Amino acid sequence: MAKKSSSYVDLKTKPVPEGRHLLEVDDLKMYFHTQDGIVHAVDGVSYTLDRGETLGVVGESGSGKSVTAMTLMGLIDMPPGKIEGGHVYYRGESLLDMTEEQMQHVRGNDIAMIFQDPMTSLNPVYKIGRQVGEGLRLHRGYTKQQAQERAVELLRLVGIPNPEKRVNEYPHQFSGGMRQRVMIAMALACDPDILIADEPTTALDVTIQAQIIELMQEMQEKNGNAIIMITHDLGVVADMADKIMVMYAGRPVEFGTADEIFYESRHPYTWGLIRSIPEQATDEKKPLTPIHGNPPSLVNLPSGCPFAPRCPYAVDICHEKLPEHHTTETGHYSACHFADDPEFVKFAPDTSRSRGKIATGTPDTLDDTLKGGEA
Amino acid sequence: MSANTENMPLLKVEHLTKEFPAEAGMLAGRLSKRVVSAVNDVSFEIHEGETFGLVGESGCGKSTTGRSIMRLTKPTSGKVYFQGHDIAKMNRKELKAMRREMQFIFQDPYASLNPRMTIGEIVSEPLTIHNVGTREERMRTVRELLDVVGLNPEHINRYPHEFSGGQRQRIGIARAFALRPKLIICDEPVSALDVSIQAQVLNLLKELQQQFGTAYLFIAHDLSVVQHISDRVAVMYLGKMVELSDWKTLYNDPHHPYTQSLLSAVPVPDPDVQKTRERIILAGDPPSPIDPPAGCRFHTRCPIAQEVCSTDQPEFKEVAPGHRCACHFARRFPIRESHIDL
Repeated sequence: MAKKSSSYVDLKTKPVPEGRHLLEVDDLKMYFHTQDGIVHAVDGVSYTLDRGETLGVVGESGSGKSVTAMTLMGLIDMPPGKIEGGHVYYRGESLLDMTEEQMQHVRGNDIAMIFQDPMTSLNPVYKIGRQVGEGLRLHRGYTKQQAQERAVELLRLVGIPNPEKRVNEYPHQFSGGMRQRVMIAMALACDPDILIADEPTTALDVTIQAQIIELMQEMQEKNGNAIIMITHDLGVVADMADKIMVMYAGRPVEFGTADEIFYESRHPYTWGLIRSIPEQATDEKKPLTPIHGNPPSLVNLPSGCPFAPRCPYAVDICHEKLPEHHTTETGHYSACHFADDPEFVKFAPDTSRSRGKIATGTPDTLDDTLKGGEA
Repeated sequence: MSANTENMPLLKVEHLTKEFPAEAGMLAGRLSKRVVSAVNDVSFEIHEGETFGLVGESGCGKSTTGRSIMRLTKPTSGKVYFQGHDIAKMNRKELKAMRREMQFIFQDPYASLNPRMTIGEIVSEPLTIHNVGTREERMRTVRELLDVVGLNPEHINRYPHEFSGGQRQRIGIARAFALRPKLIICDEPVSALDVSIQAQVLNLLKELQQQFGTAYLFIAHDLSVVQHISDRVAVMYLGKMVELSDWKTLYNDPHHPYTQSLLSAVPVPDPDVQKTRERIILAGDPPSPIDPPAGCRFHTRCPIAQEVCSTDQPEFKEVAPGHRCACHFARRFPIRESHIDL
């Protein structure tokens, strides 16, 4: 397709420097200065991401998972927001040091975002085709005609029936699931390197949710892009994420591969999240084990570990000292004082959900210890 | 109340149908005959002390069913019997007496509490309306209720905005239990809450049920939540009940292809299971309830639909004692073996 390219060089065509990652977030801190005080919305988030990988970011409302994503997209109003520290490198380039003009090239072109609510994130007065093609006209210099043609292709790609007709319709003529497909088509228009999906299926029914997740995975296989999947539902990231970061009160409390988080978790908050989910029981129903209390206010964070007031295992040190990241050789880290204690991690959820690799013992002896410990 | 209460169900719903005019406005329905068929020919019973789960996707009519039972909206046809009495025939006084026995917990803990009332006033309002006790007695009851639902009774003079979502839902629960009703209709009571708080509220509802012997009609879209709390579960699709059975059968041996696909679409928080299990992904969206598909309403998305499905409406028939299903081919074409083409 003939297109006029602007003088700007696409960052995504730049090779990732030797020994670096596609995206590196290092000790990122974003605080909001409000009348009530300083809100520590994001407080020391670090992770890396490579092409073709999916990172799941899990946490409850107010844990800072969306703000982290918005910060690296440069979508936070400053003030009241202020970056208090940290770095974000995309293909070796510092995103936080870019000018607004440079960021405009990155947004939608290199890094694209899908928002939670497809009802409010589409403009109701513009036709679907114009909105899907907007990025192409902006970043690729497509003509109106070219953008429209490509929009039809994109809509077909995301499974919207009859795209030639639908491209000339308005958002209100689409159902919720179809609007989310439009959002995905829009995000994929410029073949982004990284797709950030902020609770993309929360507003949708489960049968539609399954469709959308499958679509995102298909697109990833085809394009090789990385995905950052932000969600409150551990189930959603169970099979799609390669790595998972669990956030609590603005801080990452645990980070590891999906298997490490589900089967070898070393943080009591992750355990609590897993235990709070009703199991699909087939025989006997087990009572839920909720996490007691409520998440803390981000203005007046408790001293020490932010999870300590709700943690059933908290002891004195937890209320006094902020835990460091205890990292294993595989890069699995946990912000808990006792993460390295083999006796402590035996409190992890029982074997019904784990493959029996939690404790340090051999798998054979482990089953007995755990049963004994849980009973 | 009269009649023998031995074998009589607490609530009996017979062929409940609710249609709304498709066009809004004063003359709607007079000018146009198009209707939204929200609930169509739904029948079930709820017994004392049990939890009856009603599950389905948005727009399937589960909330309208709940509201029709409470007579917050008037059914187009069909009967609802509460303790043997037809609620359609009740006058205002009888209706008021009935609502003393039947309370409601709403989905949105932010919208369902009046921001200008203290939580003491909110929780005591049902008692005031029904003239229970003196003011002091009422306040004592409110304190007890707040304690039971896990809130500090000293917060009786605070306003809703001072509480978190989970705490507000506890206030709503305290209000529903104020009159010690026989039945509480819970319409998506935990879907607005975070998962750790959701578990707290579900446990609370179970404890209160054990303590007071209240029956619940539990309406939700989340299958794992419904399974966790319910004794019996009914699945609705586009205004129709498609399957009803005890929870164990429904989850272990679902007959209806919609139930099967719904179960398979729920994400399981276990990568090993999630990667290996069979998933049925339905194509397309649910059709509009204006002019629903002829025959079986599910046939447009059903992976095993045959010709008869688009012409004949399947009967909601008993396939085993206590297990009903509305499908021409229920279990005759187990979906797991059939070819699913997207």
